[in-house]
Amino acid sequence: MGPLGQGPMARAASDQNDRLIAADEPLAGLQQRCGGTMPGAIAVPELRELVAKARRFGLKLARPILAQDGDETIRAWVEVIPEADRAEGGCAILLHSWQATPVPAEEPELAARRRAEIDRALAELTARLDEHQGLLTVEGEAGDLLALSTAMRRGIGRPWTDFVTIDGNIHRQPLHWQLLDGARVEVSGSQRRWRATLIPIAGPANQPAGFDLCLTADRPLPAPPRKAGQPGSNLPETALVGQDLAPVLRQPIARIIANAETIRTRLAGPLAEEYAQYAADIAAAGQHLQDLIDDLTDLEVIEQPHFTTAPDRIDLADVARRAAGILGMRARQKGIAILLPEGEVRLPAVAEFRRALQILLNLIGNAIRYAPEGSRIHLEYGQAGALVRLVVADEGPGLSAEEQARVFNKFERLGRSGDGGSGLGLFISRRLARAMGGELAVESRKGEGARFLLDLPAQG
Amino acid sequence: MLSSYDGRMNEGSVQSIAADPAEAALCGELARGDAVLQSVDPVLRHLLMQRGGALFADDVLARVKGMLADMACQLLDAGQLLDASGGEAAVSALAGRLADVPGLLGHLHAQALEWQVAQRLQAQLGLDPVLSPLLQALVGSTQPDVAALAMRLLAAQARFARQISRMQWPLAELPGDLLHAVLAAWEAEGGATAAVREAYEEGHTRHALAARLVTMMGAGALAALLPGHAGVALFASAVAQGAQGARDLAVLAMQEGQKTRLALMLRAGGAPPATVEDALLALFGGSAEDAELARVGAEKAARLLTSGAATGAV
Repeated sequence: MGPLGQGPMARAASDQNDRLIAADEPLAGLQQRCGGTMPGAIAVPELRELVAKARRFGLKLARPILAQDGDETIRAWVEVIPEADRAEGGCAILLHSWQATPVPAEEPELAARRRAEIDRALAELTARLDEHQGLLTVEGEAGDLLALSTAMRRGIGRPWTDFVTIDGNIHRQPLHWQLLDGARVEVSGSQRRWRATLIPIAGPANQPAGFDLCLTADRPLPAPPRKAGQPGSNLPETALVGQDLAPVLRQPIARIIANAETIRTRLAGPLAEEYAQYAADIAAAGQHLQDLIDDLTDLEVIEQPHFTTAPDRIDLADVARRAAGILGMRARQKGIAILLPEGEVRLPAVAEFRRALQILLNLIGNAIRYAPEGSRIHLEYGQAGALVRLVVADEGPGLSAEEQARVFNKFERLGRSGDGGSGLGLFISRRLARAMGGELAVESRKGEGARFLLDLPAQG
Repeated sequence: MLSSYDGRMNEGSVQSIAADPAEAALCGELARGDAVLQSVDPVLRHLLMQRGGALFADDVLARVKGMLADMACQLLDAGQLLDASGGEAAVSALAGRLADVPGLLGHLHAQALEWQVAQRLQAQLGLDPVLSPLLQALVGSTQPDVAALAMRLLAAQARFARQISRMQWPLAELPGDLLHAVLAAWEAEGGATAAVREAYEEGHTRHALAARLVTMMGAGALAALLPGHAGVALFASAVAQGAQGARDLAVLAMQEGQKTRLALMLRAGGAPPATVEDALLALFGGSAEDAELARVGAEKAARLLTSGAATGAV
């Protein structure tokens, strides 16, 4: 902006299609947080509109823009100068001021109203109560609420609190509604935990004339297993995770992990040891969630009826070395050594590189996870006719014959929990191996470690 | 409307249009004349009823007319199309066409109204229409960029005062969108506009300087939500930015009968109730309902404003 004492704080440039092709911070960061890429379409709506206008009009424009990146509201003053060539040229973008303020918290009254709306929409049992919390009508169709709603319908007029168990409430009479609003409730016949919401209906003199009672469960009732061949059983809804959920979940989870790591490593300042430990737990849980999303996405893909791999000529020994390299750090943290065969062995196979690597990462990762500290993991190569074989052998607790029969099942955890596994890894790995014309099997005896055998078609 | 000028004259003429071209032309003239006569009553009534109302005060209308003519002069002048006589006919013809540019009349009207409010506050509160206490404080800011910007706004504000009292309006003061529309209309007439486009910098307009200054004030922009302190120019820009509305609309909201809108815009922009009450007092004189208006929730205010705009009630 001409003769003003100070130059712009940041510059950026767009091309003739209004794509951002270069940007200094903080514009580059804002573009990214608004979901854009570089180069890529300008993701900040007001900026995009301004740039398009300046280019179309061939006029130098200067305006405030308002943007939100999730945490903060940003007000900036931006000047856009179109290049002389109106058909081919883009624009120069100059940023002159930048004010970021945290997005204000919702007003409590409004938040309460929204919560009431959400509860109304999600409630599986709703009842209209009179001003003394006596039942007037009851609506509820969920399977595990049948007994409750039947009992309530027979007891119209009695207080709703007679039909459920309220945590910590030993009074016979219903308490003041504000004390019951949000209470935890147990319903006989239901395994689920319930929350009661009381929404007052305005009456004369600021006294509620009655209430809407909503019972909301902590989780949905598990859907009954769908019979095979039933219409709709293989509709594209199977792509729910990969197409719809994974993209929206990945970014927030990545942020949780990154922030927890920042706290854990005390980058943001000194911190008591136990809090750093909590942050480590948060990061680990986030990592687990992320792995789970990856597994579920894979599961969805390999369960598609037309799933295929893209086979290529690969060196399975090289894939194994890479997998061992990737997991080397994790192994060293547990004092585990990954032992590869000596010398320059080659194991030419026909398989998709990415998938073979995924299988080996899973096998070696499992071995590291379940083998005792200070043990060793052996990788062995072999060839059997038209197949090449790679063995991952650990010194862990091993598997009984019965466990070996189950270990490749979907969601099989062999009774383990809390170790970050999803029970999908081996299932996915075997499906991948088979899709590539190979096989994944296990040999083991209880107490003698496990040997996972990956066979893939040999070259030639 | 019931009046002596009803539709019967037209019915006969419409039927005979196809018969004879010369007759059709006469009928067309008559029909146009009918339309003018039919609109006499409502326009006259409107003007009489609005008597005393500031929106269509004589000086406001005169200013808008003068500004249109001034812009037409600038366009003709840039194309060296003004002859020795001053080209009065050409100017008024072009001004008439500019009046059809969507949004332009509304913008000029808002400028005239802004000046009118500024003059009223000068008479009532002794507020300098050019240098308000807030602008004075900003000129003396310890932040050099703020001070420099405030100086430029001061200069622009002085220019504005001079131009609007002379009923002039430089093209370079138009917002980018309107300038583009004006130039497009002039291009359609065969006029050359490259030089105007090249010289234009929206960042140098008075509106842009005020808006930028408000942006730079950040959270301190609340101080600009008091008209008696900020002056009408900064106040309008701050209200518009806070409510995320057009500045012209903020100026209209300072007019008689628009108190509710102004209160809602202030609330939507985060002004605390006391500030809203002070602003209403300065612009409209106090009244009993002010306190209630000032306490509408910020989010509700924003919602009311946008839903009002959606139904076309501006």
